[in-house]
Amino acid sequence: MFRKTLRLLALGGCAAALLATAGCGGAGDPGAGKTRVGVTVYDMSSFITQGKEGMEAYAEAHDMQLLWNSAGNDVSTQAGQIEQLVNQDVDAIVIVPVQADSLGPQLAQAKAKDIPVLAVNTTLSSSSSLAATVLPDDVKAGEQEMEMMAETLGGTGNIVILQGPLGSSPELDRTKGIQNVLAKYPDIEVLAKDTANWKRDEAVNKTKNWLSSFGGRIDGIVSENDDMGLGAVQALKEAGRKVPVVGIDGIEDGLRAVQSGAFIGSSLQHGRVELATGLAVAKRIIDGEPADKEYTYVMPPITSENVGTILQHVVSGKEQFLRQLPALVDENLKTGDIANENARGAS
Amino acid sequence: MTPTHSLTTHGSVEATPPRAFSVAWMRDLLIRHAMVVVMLLVMAYFSYRSAHFATLENFQTIAIAAAPFALIALGQTLVILTGGIDLSVGSVIALSAMAAAAIAKDHPDRLAPAVLVALLVGLLAGSVNGLLVSRLDVPPFIATLGMLTTASGLAYVIGDGAPINGLPANFGDIANTRILGVQAPVLVMILGIVALAVVMSRTSYGMRVYAVGGNRVAAELTGIKVPRILFSVYALSGLLAGVSGVILASRVSSGPPNLGSGYELDAIAAVVIGGASLMGGRGTIWGTALGLLLIQTLNNGLDLLVVPAYWQNVIKGVLIAAAVAVDVWANKRRT
Repeated sequence: MFRKTLRLLALGGCAAALLATAGCGGAGDPGAGKTRVGVTVYDMSSFITQGKEGMEAYAEAHDMQLLWNSAGNDVSTQAGQIEQLVNQDVDAIVIVPVQADSLGPQLAQAKAKDIPVLAVNTTLSSSSSLAATVLPDDVKAGEQEMEMMAETLGGTGNIVILQGPLGSSPELDRTKGIQNVLAKYPDIEVLAKDTANWKRDEAVNKTKNWLSSFGGRIDGIVSENDDMGLGAVQALKEAGRKVPVVGIDGIEDGLRAVQSGAFIGSSLQHGRVELATGLAVAKRIIDGEPADKEYTYVMPPITSENVGTILQHVVSGKEQFLRQLPALVDENLKTGDIANENARGAS
Repeated sequence: MTPTHSLTTHGSVEATPPRAFSVAWMRDLLIRHAMVVVMLLVMAYFSYRSAHFATLENFQTIAIAAAPFALIALGQTLVILTGGIDLSVGSVIALSAMAAAAIAKDHPDRLAPAVLVALLVGLLAGSVNGLLVSRLDVPPFIATLGMLTTASGLAYVIGDGAPINGLPANFGDIANTRILGVQAPVLVMILGIVALAVVMSRTSYGMRVYAVGGNRVAAELTGIKVPRILFSVYALSGLLAGVSGVILASRVSSGPPNLGSGYELDAIAAVVIGGASLMGGRGTIWGTALGLLLIQTLNNGLDLLVVPAYWQNVIKGVLIAAAVAVDVWANKRRT
């Protein structure tokens, strides 16, 4: 009996959800004649939440309609969402993939109906059927943070490295970037490197253990994202030590750490700019304007000099930044520097 | 080898806990827990390999890392003693941490509401588990699996899918306050272990928890209100997960919705290494504390020796299985 009720409830819920989506589709009529772009993102992370704001600002400025879907980190959900977007005959599809090695059949379906598909942030292995990609340069981000650290250390000293989940593509690329720079600095020794899975709480313990092991020998901590770097800062605080720490991503707490001097710097991966650029490229393709096949988002360095401006863009003055964003993104597409956001010191 | 002592004091209940702080307790600990020997061997090895292992600073490092795990392992011990399991503690940590972070962000001037709500959230989640298990007879594995998913989902709902950042500085003070030179979470852990050890070995409540796990029908016949006991252990487990959530979120000054994911497995491992039976009725708080110490010492020592993460997992997995195998073997020899 109880089980039956549950099942009924579940069915009811599904039906309601279906009706709601159908309702949304139907209510899209005011948008008839508008350019319609389907979007499916891997999940609503903080990066994607930012990106959604950027895309919505861009869509509004250009009178476009977004059909927004989140896949909850599930490849088959994402595949289903693309199929549905293809059936709705949208003008273009922007994918922020759950997983690189996926979605081959769905890309083929889109191609058969002449719907251009773009991959943003992560590429897809069947990239030949993609109209364009907008991807961050993680190798360069790794190089950039290691350069910052090497400069601070004056080219000599001992470091430890906090890596992303081993084998994930940003971890592999960022680690490669770090190695590239280390090759130029033979006097910088890596005492230890290991993963803390992007997590602050794991990084705190890992760094604490390293501080126990190497004591005063650690001269700098290179973290492949801001969250783990912030964990390292906490570990240093608990151990009563202070050494330079560098991160990547430019999340709010990371920016504040740069501002306070706890970080020597970071690299900005700004979801609003990156995802809005994806939409801008889609618009170019739909409008038949010339567009490149590959756009690379080279993360601007965040330093004590420009962190004030970036904090305004990302946190305190984000409404104002969003108003300027559509024009900025269009301008960037002309210059080719798609990560540019006119932050002082970030060339 | 005197296998009879545990039956002499309370003949009626088979799995009576030994009394704390007595000679018999020490002897029982050594016989029952070959684990102590394993632990000493592991510590001796790390001391031999790294001059930095056996230092006060490093023991503090181990203790502060252990604290959030200790709390959920304590709750888990009681649940496992009743023959149940609580899979939800990891995501209850996330949920209470997100609740604390959200409130701290909205009310940066006052900490009490954030902490209080987080503890209530933990208690509530645990109580739901308790009701499902004790009143509706839902198997603990299923009830708490449902809570695992629900609480994790709610944690993401609170943060709108994203971590809560930009928390006020005083939120970080909770876990970073030092009392008598020791970080607050370490004190909470020590208090929790001692308090629960006393409760479990010296009070009638402890007796009843063992009785329910040892033989439920017999427990009912002796007049123990089994559903009440069951409810209480899940509620306590949830509350302790709430405390753990506050400690973790405060220590890193952030509310990540995936905080604590997978922690339940380390907690269960600690309890089992500590000699508890997943069938219920057998196990002690001190055993759990020891199991926890073994896992945390391995985490720490392997980092000190700069063993790569994937090898760390292999070594930890093998040692955990081996330690329990040794324990079971020692127990068989004893009887």
